[in-house]
Amino acid sequence: MSNINTESKKTNTYDVIVIGSGISGGWAAKEFTEKGLKTLVLERGRDVQHIKDYPTTNKYPFEFEHRGEPALAIQKENPIASRCYIFREDAMHFVVKDHEHPYVQEKPFDWIRGYQVGGKSLLWARQTQRWSDFDFEGPARDGFAVDWPIRYKDLAPWYSYAEKFAGIAGNKDGLKELPDGEFLPGYPLNAVEDYFKGFVKNKYPNRHVISARCAHLSKPNQIHFDQGRAKCQNRILCQRGCPFGGYFSSNASTLPWAAKTGNLTLRPFSVVESVIYDDKLGKATGVRVVDANTKEEMEFYAKIIFVNAAAINTNLILLNSKSTRFPNGLGNDNGQLGKFVAFHNYSARISAEYDGMKQFSTDGRNPAGGGYIPRFRNVYKQETNFKRGYAAGFSAHRSNERDMTGVGENLKKNILNPPLGPWHVGSHMMGETIPKESNFVSLHQSKKDNWGVPLLNISVDYDENDALMKKDYVAEMSQMFDEAGFKNIKVNDSSQAPGLDIHEMGGARMGLDPKTSILNKWNQIHACPNVFVTDGACMTSTSCQNPSLTYMALTARAADYAVKSMNRFEI
Amino acid sequence: MERRFAIKQILIMAGGIALLPSCLKESGKSSIALTNLDVSLDQEHLLAEIAETIIPATDTPGAKQLNLHLFVLKMLDDLYEKEDQKLFMKGLSDIGDVAQDKYGKSFQKLAVQQRQELLLAIENDKQVPPALGKFYEIMKGRTVGGYLNSKYVMTNLIKWELVPGRYNGYFPVKAA
Repeated sequence: MSNINTESKKTNTYDVIVIGSGISGGWAAKEFTEKGLKTLVLERGRDVQHIKDYPTTNKYPFEFEHRGEPALAIQKENPIASRCYIFREDAMHFVVKDHEHPYVQEKPFDWIRGYQVGGKSLLWARQTQRWSDFDFEGPARDGFAVDWPIRYKDLAPWYSYAEKFAGIAGNKDGLKELPDGEFLPGYPLNAVEDYFKGFVKNKYPNRHVISARCAHLSKPNQIHFDQGRAKCQNRILCQRGCPFGGYFSSNASTLPWAAKTGNLTLRPFSVVESVIYDDKLGKATGVRVVDANTKEEMEFYAKIIFVNAAAINTNLILLNSKSTRFPNGLGNDNGQLGKFVAFHNYSARISAEYDGMKQFSTDGRNPAGGGYIPRFRNVYKQETNFKRGYAAGFSAHRSNERDMTGVGENLKKNILNPPLGPWHVGSHMMGETIPKESNFVSLHQSKKDNWGVPLLNISVDYDENDALMKKDYVAEMSQMFDEAGFKNIKVNDSSQAPGLDIHEMGGARMGLDPKTSILNKWNQIHACPNVFVTDGACMTSTSCQNPSLTYMALTARAADYAVKSMNRFEI
Repeated sequence: MERRFAIKQILIMAGGIALLPSCLKESGKSSIALTNLDVSLDQEHLLAEIAETIIPATDTPGAKQLNLHLFVLKMLDDLYEKEDQKLFMKGLSDIGDVAQDKYGKSFQKLAVQQRQELLLAIENDKQVPPALGKFYEIMKGRTVGGYLNSKYVMTNLIKWELVPGRYNGYFPVKAA
């Protein structure tokens, strides 16, 4: 018997185990396999192979059974997923259904998940803005959370590294608060976006409207062709999966790249129950997995473990990784694991109309989505009655205005030959939220899922700072709209629950002091250095940039460090 | 391949989507398979005439030829609450009564002009009864929407591009 066990241990042993195949897990897989390490990527959902498994990608609107709208029965079965803009007939097969993976909402939280190879990298909004030291120094300067253990200079080369491979379209805007990167040509702003950019620049020297930087191949380089990807074709049907590989996803980019090395083993349908900690050896030795279909329990072993299960599930796995040494979860000596969860406040939008620029419209589609306004509040100094600030989207478009009145030939003629309406402009808020101990996730005492893993309690809410910041966004943006001559300004306060921003972060934050953080400056668990966390769970604060690019850079940096440490026999 | 072709032959195309036919043995019932609604063939024919009144055939196909009335039924069946479905069906039967009251004829027997008058009267009636109002709202909205999103319109009249491959933010147009 012992022989068999030894055999099975050998076949189940890798150099590295990566838990999760989404945006950060894919990067970990790429980095380790490129460095020659045998890497096992565990994904709890099904396999999704690039192109082959994008069943809707070339469909016309009329080919969807209900023109895109999910049937009422499906909406009623999935109230949480249905609140997400992705949950339509073209992409709902990439979104977790409510009843399949329940959780406990101690406070309303719309947890949007993508359980498949590639995770949410198939579905993301592809916005990629760097952080600056105004972000990394935020907690220390403004007195919240803990100090980030890294600064911009630590991450800058890794941002460059990630950007070159992923392919980021953008312009060199020369802004201190939003550092430039390694850009492919940026997408242009349109006539009214440019008009607003110019207006804002004149009136508010510290406020900027730039073309949003995004993970689209506006002009691919050889490295992108080598990945099998091609120029973005401006389809903007990205959530279906792109047959051109025009935007960055694990499926189109990092995973096939890792597979080409011959060092990748990808195991879908693998629910990670916990990380195995060996009390005698004093380190993690592997992971316990439950096969999603057969429910068979198995173990895999490795020297290095990267946890990239997506922020909240990474917390779940670590909390559930109990041992004599870590009775409260892996690395949780200070009781902080699962706490200080934060997110982005996306709950306000503003729309208006503009009567000018009637000589122009747009033609084709813009993958960048339009303009981006970097944070301008409290950047250089504290200047408001709330902490931190918000970035904002800004975009303009014209659409046909159909006269739908009446019936018969006239109606038919009207709807087939509609006049162009005025320009519509819109903005949405992307607010930083302050991590707090009272915003947390924890294991449910008794309830378990179908695979024997405890359900999560999620207890995350807005606070007074969020309310004050939203008020300021609405006031400032409305004023800028008004001053720019936009009419019919409408504010939409959606009061959407946290979670729907799909930017949940924290719970296993990085920090200098093991007493007040879970991870060190290399994303290693302080007390268990061969386990790394490089997805959203590691975030000490949220700032207001879309976070995925930062996860990519942190992952590549941590993987590099892990290999160097291993080669020095430190882990 | 032959089997697939055969299946394609028996599917009913409605504005571009393929609908399963109902069990043909059960005569007098709607020609497409519905889950929640009970629609007779007579009602289906009436719907076809109403749809055709909204979007008539001209030098291009109208609602009837594009099976938009079946498209409306499919949407009503799958996307609406029971309450709305009931109101719709009642409103449909009320249309027949309105035609009888006003013109002493069934809707199908009315001249095109009269059909249009009848529908416009509902559209412009600020105190329209709930069933008739709901029926008209769904019928017109889904007929027009289904028409604009139909395969015919999207591939022949207002072409929808799957692969634009371009973006111009300063596309010159005639200033209105």
